Amino acid sequence: MTGERRLKPLLMRVWEAEGVSLTEGGAEPRAQAAVPPILEIHDIAKRFGATQALEAVSLTLYPGEVHALLGENGAGKSTLIKIMTGVYQPDRGEIRLAGQPIVIGSAAEAQRHGIAAIYQEPLLFPDLNVAENIFISHQGRGAVTNWRQMFREAEDILAALGVALDVRSPARGLTLAAQQSVEIAKAISLNVRVLIMDEPTASLSAHEVTQLFKLVKDLRDKGVAILFVSHRMEEVFEIADKVTVFRDGRLISTRPRGEVTPRRAIADMVGREIGLLQPRAPVKQGDLILSVRGLAREGVFHDVSFDVRRGEVLGFAGLIGAGRTDVGLALFGIEPATSGTIVLDGKTRNIRSPREAMACGIAYLSEDRRQLGLSLPMSIAANISLPVLRRYLDRFGLVRTASERATAEGFRSRLAIRTPSVDVSVAKLSGGNQQKVMLSKWLNTHPRLLILDEPTRGIDVGAKSEVHAMIGELAAEGIGIIMISSELPEVLAMSDRVLVMREGRQMAIFDRAEASGERVMTAAMGQALTGEAA
Amino acid sequence: MNWLQRHIRPEQVRELSLLLLIIVAVLVFGSLIPRYYTSLTFNRIASSVVIITVVAAGQTLVVLTRSIDLSVGSIVGCTAYFAGTQLAAHHGMPPAVAVLIAVALGAFMGSLNGVLVAWGRVPPIIVTLGTLAIYRGILIDYSGAKTVTTDSLPAWLVDLPTVDVATVGGLEIRVVVAAALLVVIVFQLATSFLTVSRRLYAIGSNPEAAALIGLPTQRILFTAFVLSGALSGLAGFLFLARFGNITVEAGRGLELQSVAAVVVGGVNIFGGSGTIFGSMLGAVMIGTLEQSLFRLQISEFWRDAILGLLILLAVASDAVILNRLRLLWARTDLKLIAKSAPLPAREGEVTAP
Repeated sequence: MTGERRLKPLLMRVWEAEGVSLTEGGAEPRAQAAVPPILEIHDIAKRFGATQALEAVSLTLYPGEVHALLGENGAGKSTLIKIMTGVYQPDRGEIRLAGQPIVIGSAAEAQRHGIAAIYQEPLLFPDLNVAENIFISHQGRGAVTNWRQMFREAEDILAALGVALDVRSPARGLTLAAQQSVEIAKAISLNVRVLIMDEPTASLSAHEVTQLFKLVKDLRDKGVAILFVSHRMEEVFEIADKVTVFRDGRLISTRPRGEVTPRRAIADMVGREIGLLQPRAPVKQGDLILSVRGLAREGVFHDVSFDVRRGEVLGFAGLIGAGRTDVGLALFGIEPATSGTIVLDGKTRNIRSPREAMACGIAYLSEDRRQLGLSLPMSIAANISLPVLRRYLDRFGLVRTASERATAEGFRSRLAIRTPSVDVSVAKLSGGNQQKVMLSKWLNTHPRLLILDEPTRGIDVGAKSEVHAMIGELAAEGIGIIMISSELPEVLAMSDRVLVMREGRQMAIFDRAEASGERVMTAAMGQALTGEAA
Repeated sequence: MNWLQRHIRPEQVRELSLLLLIIVAVLVFGSLIPRYYTSLTFNRIASSVVIITVVAAGQTLVVLTRSIDLSVGSIVGCTAYFAGTQLAAHHGMPPAVAVLIAVALGAFMGSLNGVLVAWGRVPPIIVTLGTLAIYRGILIDYSGAKTVTTDSLPAWLVDLPTVDVATVGGLEIRVVVAAALLVVIVFQLATSFLTVSRRLYAIGSNPEAAALIGLPTQRILFTAFVLSGALSGLAGFLFLARFGNITVEAGRGLELQSVAAVVVGGVNIFGGSGTIFGSMLGAVMIGTLEQSLFRLQISEFWRDAILGLLILLAVASDAVILNRLRLLWARTDLKLIAKSAPLPAREGEVTAP
């Protein structure tokens, strides 16, 4: 390919034009011990309300090195990236660039320091052409755009990357892989010294990943420091020179790739005290309620098969974006499945809408309580009666508020909803009490199958244990429960069985006895359970 | 087809088809209306188009940023009236100063919109709906319901609409037409070549990304509203020159017409794409329809309804036709890329779906 042949001189030209010294990159591929660090993050802490998102994190990035960052959902990776790109300000700590302390006050400042980030979803301007997208944040290109020159320079950069794209065509309609190439070209044109890649491969095909990695290696060989965040173990171990693991806002370990195995990394990721949560006492399980076979929604999830019995809690574990919520949405008919069968109480059902799902006795508690789960300005009573409002209408079609309130009072005492009255608007309640109202609302539909999506997200510890107790009681009453949760200890403590998903596929189902934190996380990260390669 | 696609973008197809539509409309009206192809018709259409075009140029800048300016009609009214009273009081005032007064007043009114939208973070439709009413209210109060009359104005202004700069094939090109063309050319060039103005497109195209890469979003929004106000001020001066009699109703309805011109001209109402030139074609289309339907003695109410229909059609065609065109283009692009750079064979790797 012509791009291949022209690669080196052109890249050098670009770098020279941007005033980058070529002495430390190029010929010497890897960072030597003598190379001083480019970015030093020292003792950074960041707090959001009650959550300590980052605590005493120190990380050092060297030029010409790919540094992988691993961690569960909520381990603090995104917070660190946002601090490095100037979106958040740390509460404490220091950042040094090439030895000099710096403050990254805004995204523009991060760029001036040569720190750029590429996200899973590229941030391009769909209406601008490829060349404009590459040069959009350049300050010193003059007031008048020289289109001819800009197209030529963009073509040079893309050719140096070995990417075939029409620089005149708008970014709208480019494939994700092509958009990422544009983002990388943008970073190069900005004379990037530290490139953060936040799950850049999540939406790419295997072939596109190979091409992306070629670009990453080129950048590394040119002396760029790369912070690579990914949930795909095999990729991390293919490309990383160092592996750092985060857990609960803390840096657990940083090791050279040679000294760490996937097993070790996963152990670091999950190695927290799981004993904090009491395991739920198992309930005697009854008849089969739900049987799902080969369920799929095209392009979202594939071939999901499982059973739920009366009194059983089936946990759905996996990383964010693994497709767990999508399975829930398909069962509830919000985004119906495109193939597969759903058998409820022995009858095959084709659920196309939430109305049909509710008629079948399915209830779904959304993970997004405030946007999708509740009508915040409305009262507790009105929220609880909403899905089955017909029951509360008198013969003139008006709402019988007395019976509405009576139902609400019932749930208020049963679920211990702390409120002065059921007429209070839901917006005024705490997260835990809102969650209880949402649970009341759906229990009021008398479901046989209850789908709970992140039932304890963002609620305090006390309310959390109350919700857990409630889930146990409901199961004991014979309701079948699917519990989607990103909190591993919660899934392990509450579930009779655990279904693990990864990238839209069902990886495994573990019985309570088999399910351990490491096993579940190993499946969620896509590692084989046996014969693990170091 | 391939040659065409390489040289023309889907958005430009839109503008070309509008040009074609205007020609078809003129041919149809020409066959319906006796003595249609005369310089009289041309001048009537032109003088109506001129005002819409200038306002629409400013509206385009605002719409490109994913905003809207509904106060333009009131700004035209205020600036026309104020410039009129000043000229009536000082007959010796040089024309340039009169224009400057109108433009400066318009820019000031636009800057209030800009501050509220950019820094007050109030949605533009609310801000400009408010200033639409407020500016009109101020005009009514300031005027005391009195009218600026043609007799009170200096002679050069009253004659301005009939002054020609050149004659092309029996058609006289009026000064005002030349002025509007100049505005279109200047702003078309500016939006194509000035780095600053390309950021208008960026903001409208993806506001989140614009903020994340550190573009000065607020300053750009503010500038768009100031320019929209300034151009409305210029339009106000042209309005004064055209009609001479300025009542408190002056310019009412221009907000609808300018938005119609912009949308019919192919500017995406959600920002990010479109050109000043397209908006001018939109204004020509609307002016042609308006004047021709008037000649056909169709009532004013039906003319408004037809204008509304045109907006709906334009938006619908934007969604449907443009997407089709883009798909067609993208497919051809893929074929070209596939031809020029065949993908390397995959080495026994598992292909993800």
